[in-house]
Amino acid sequence: MPPPIIDSRHPEPASARNETPAQLLCRQWYQAYGRPLYNYLRFQVASPDIAEDLAAEVFLRAVRRADSFNPARGDPRAWLFRIAQNALRDHIRQTRRRPNISLGSFRDLAYQAPSPEERLLWEEEVARLVGALATLSARDQEIIGLCYGSQFTPADAGEILGIRGSSARMRLWRALRRLREALSE
Amino acid sequence: MRDVHHVLRQMRFEPRSSLLPELLGRVGRGDQPTPPRPYRGRRWRPIGLAAIVTGLLAVFALPRHQVTVDSCCYDLDGGGVPDDGAVVVADRNGRVSRLSVYEDRDTSRTLTEADVVRLVRAGVPMAEHSIHPGFTTIRHCCQDLDGGGPPDDGLLVIATPPDRVHTAAIYELR
Repeated sequence: MPPPIIDSRHPEPASARNETPAQLLCRQWYQAYGRPLYNYLRFQVASPDIAEDLAAEVFLRAVRRADSFNPARGDPRAWLFRIAQNALRDHIRQTRRRPNISLGSFRDLAYQAPSPEERLLWEEEVARLVGALATLSARDQEIIGLCYGSQFTPADAGEILGIRGSSARMRLWRALRRLREALSE
Repeated sequence: MRDVHHVLRQMRFEPRSSLLPELLGRVGRGDQPTPPRPYRGRRWRPIGLAAIVTGLLAVFALPRHQVTVDSCCYDLDGGGVPDDGAVVVADRNGRVSRLSVYEDRDTSRTLTEADVVRLVRAGVPMAEHSIHPGFTTIRHCCQDLDGGGPPDDGLLVIATPPDRVHTAAIYELR
């Protein structure tokens, strides 16, 4: 029997809250992969609201399709990120990307700046970077989102993208070069 | 600005803390994920195709705003008798698409089945290869042959009397 899942905000075991198996599964996946997956999405969309909607959409899809996940093939990380890829592509098809990002859209930006001034400078720096990121192709944004947003190694990103690690490394290198060019314009 | 790699490494976003409880609530209620909608391009594709087909039909198949002018009766073949007529099909005050020269056999002063058509010219320039010696050029000016209103069109016929029409043309006075 798997050990009970403990949520820091709800110290009692999840099973004690009478959650359904689907809710338990969702909680488990979210706690394991929610943050990297959110960052992967957030690196590629303009606002936290969209990233949150997409993240919720990914987990809803995953729970509904849980039968199609084969645990024998390892952890569900690559499977979840492929669902995220598809959700993101659906979103991109349906909406236009807005490359101009206002500072107000960084309410979800984590920071360790000790003063408000330093936070403001950090936000400006991130805003410039995200603005330049939005001008890149979806392919470039995807590899940067995986390797920096989700902090995967190029080999792990390659597994999600269905390419070799060396190819993912090369793709990342080229994407970073284009990002630097976009920033220097 | 610091190195891109360094900034990217430090960039972290945190989803709001209420996202998980909301998500669990949706899962508990049995909410379904949003079905993927066909994107706008696909939705507009049939409309775009219909517009293209309509445009092509308008250009190539549907009848244009054409006029047919039947002028009778003149001596267009040099036979000495004013028993010939010309039927002009033209865009209104524009390009002539068809020109027929006929002999008004039944004296109806219009082209009928009883008449003899001496020449039909449609669209492209034409002339018979063997123009007999003794041909004559006949002009009739000026009438409204293209339906434009002003009588600024002329009819030119090259014929060998008494009844051989080699070619004909419509011209407009400028």
